[in-house]
Amino acid sequence: MVCSARILDVSYPLTPSFSSYVPSAHHNSRYICRNLKSTVRWRAMASPDPDASKYASAASIDADSAAKNAAGFCIIEGPETVQDFDKMDIQEIQDNIRSRRNKIFLHMEEVRRLRIQQRIKSDELGILNEEQDGELPDFPSFIPFLPPLQSSANLKQYYATCFSLISGIIIFGGLLAPALELKLGIGGTSYADFISSMHLPMQLSDVDPIVASFSGGAVGVISALMVVEINNVKQQEHKRCKYCLGTGYLACARCASTGAIVLIDPVASASGGNQPLSPPKTERCSNCSGAGKVMCPTCLCTGMAMASEHDPRIDPFD
Amino acid sequence: MSAAAMTWVVSPNSEQLCNGLRFLEKGVFSGGRLKNVGRKHECFSFFGSRKRDVGSRVVANPSGNLAISSEQLVYDVVLKQVALVKEQQRSREEEDMEVKPDIVVPGTLGVLNEAYDRCGEVCAEYAKTFYLGTLLMTPERRKAIWAIYVWCRRTDELVDGPNASHITPKALDRWESRLEDLFNGRPFDMLDAALSDTVSKFPVDIQPFKDMIDGMRMDLKKSRYENFDELYLYCYYVAGTVGLMSVPIMGIAHESNAPTESVYNAALALGIANQLTNILRDVGEDARRGRVYLPQDELAQAGLSDEDIFAMKVTDKWRFFMKKQIKRARTFFDQAEEGVTQLSSASRWPVWASLLLYRQILDEIEANDYNNFTRRAYVSKPKKIVALPIAYVKSLVPPSSRKLVTN
Repeated sequence: MVCSARILDVSYPLTPSFSSYVPSAHHNSRYICRNLKSTVRWRAMASPDPDASKYASAASIDADSAAKNAAGFCIIEGPETVQDFDKMDIQEIQDNIRSRRNKIFLHMEEVRRLRIQQRIKSDELGILNEEQDGELPDFPSFIPFLPPLQSSANLKQYYATCFSLISGIIIFGGLLAPALELKLGIGGTSYADFISSMHLPMQLSDVDPIVASFSGGAVGVISALMVVEINNVKQQEHKRCKYCLGTGYLACARCASTGAIVLIDPVASASGGNQPLSPPKTERCSNCSGAGKVMCPTCLCTGMAMASEHDPRIDPFD
Repeated sequence: MSAAAMTWVVSPNSEQLCNGLRFLEKGVFSGGRLKNVGRKHECFSFFGSRKRDVGSRVVANPSGNLAISSEQLVYDVVLKQVALVKEQQRSREEEDMEVKPDIVVPGTLGVLNEAYDRCGEVCAEYAKTFYLGTLLMTPERRKAIWAIYVWCRRTDELVDGPNASHITPKALDRWESRLEDLFNGRPFDMLDAALSDTVSKFPVDIQPFKDMIDGMRMDLKKSRYENFDELYLYCYYVAGTVGLMSVPIMGIAHESNAPTESVYNAALALGIANQLTNILRDVGEDARRGRVYLPQDELAQAGLSDEDIFAMKVTDKWRFFMKKQIKRARTFFDQAEEGVTQLSSASRWPVWASLLLYRQILDEIEANDYNNFTRRAYVSKPKKIVALPIAYVKSLVPPSSRKLVTN
């Protein structure tokens, strides 16, 4: 059963050495503890083992009895997710944000140390170290048709090739061609003859050499940059989540991305008369909390086709 | 959006006339799989008429209890669908033809059109040949099929996509409740809104969608299938459901007198056929992921085991085994063909095209000397193009206008 991805996800609870970093004077430490438990349970639930699910269901009973908020974080949004964390006041929310950021930081540090151990152990066992979970793959070259760059090694090659090409062209143009009296027009003609044979206006043959080389160089550079940029855009698009087109969000269907819902209570105007009805009242859309957009469940708000923990979750109010 | 407006797609309740059930044929266009990673999922399918003897479907499992076979379970779902359709037809005849005006809230049409366009883009991105096939349909059907495709694909990506490791059973439950909401006219996001609009315009039932989610749940746990019964159920969940979803879209021709049930069965058979073809084509790819989608008891009967599959060697035993599997897949295609002619005229061409193309994959497997370990059987572009006029000719055959004998 291919569940290795899930196994990798089982997170270890914070070790005692780290827990001392967590501000202990937190009056919301119970939220943290509960969330820890639910995090472990959540990860365990992701594994398809029947044993794990039994453990998960047992743990979930504890979590459920603990608090509604921590009773099961679910990555997929639904119409009622806006109620998550609803009961906290603003100070609690800020504290929770701070403590979670702290935990993320500490978890990343743990990952780094674990990876070091992984490297050591696999070297001992002689296991071939394949690319590490696709974390930072070789970045592909922006220039089409060229192989991907691999930091320093390839880059040196690139430098060497580039330098030799440029010097070769300079030597050719500056020394070889005049020495050999090379005439690169068709049939070995000179520039003036070439222009007249192509029936172009003769003023072109009087172009100042400096101007000519500048123009030619500039055109070459600009088109090269253009090609590279287009390739870059294509590659970035390739990495984009196709459902939300990289924004991380889909339009909220309830408010049609306006963020507000019109209340349609019937209006009766007792006084009658010719007064126009007042405009309908609106309230904030409960689906999207007024943002007008909801999470794209495919990329989990990262906008990337393959989300990793490095991707920032895009903020809807930006 | 000019005016703040409440946009909940008003979905008429299920008293909507099923104006003819349509088929959607997808699988053929080689973009037939929803996902390339891991599991095999089929997109749309077709059915053929198949009379079943109810009694033969009940089998005894080893513990001695009478267990209902998968085929019977699936057939029950089909019967339920057909009953639903008949009920809708009856209630429609009883009421006056009360046409409910489409309540379009000002400023929302743009969002819906944009949503459908996005569905089309996603479809074009992930299933190019299928997308080209949808261009053969009428615009309304095309949009509806795109909406269904995107929902199926999103569901598939939940458990099979690059971010699948974050999905829990609770996430699938929430996804299912979102599905129920959108069937009640309360879609959550814009892609749900496209599907919600589709199910309000066409008489699509919710059960196949729920079954597909069940299939995802099941697929999390299983990587081996003991017998064909289990495999059949899996194929139903991931491919047969798509056929049932698409029948209301493609529509049954008015002049057809074939029983509705036979059309649904044909669509089901087409879905199963497509999925089996997928499985047979991708034996090597699945084996590399440690998955075997072939019935274990039939493998044993042929003297093969999982090790032989992982060894990826074509032997005479393998050829013999594959011949039988291909023969069975072809029977399902034959059953499906009986139903294609009953579809409404505009839908027959794309469906025939995809049926013929996907069927050719089986021929390609044979041409590869049954080496589905290292070679991927695919239908070349010229063959694909040639299939189009053949499908067109077949689509000209009208549905049976005489009453078929039903036993």
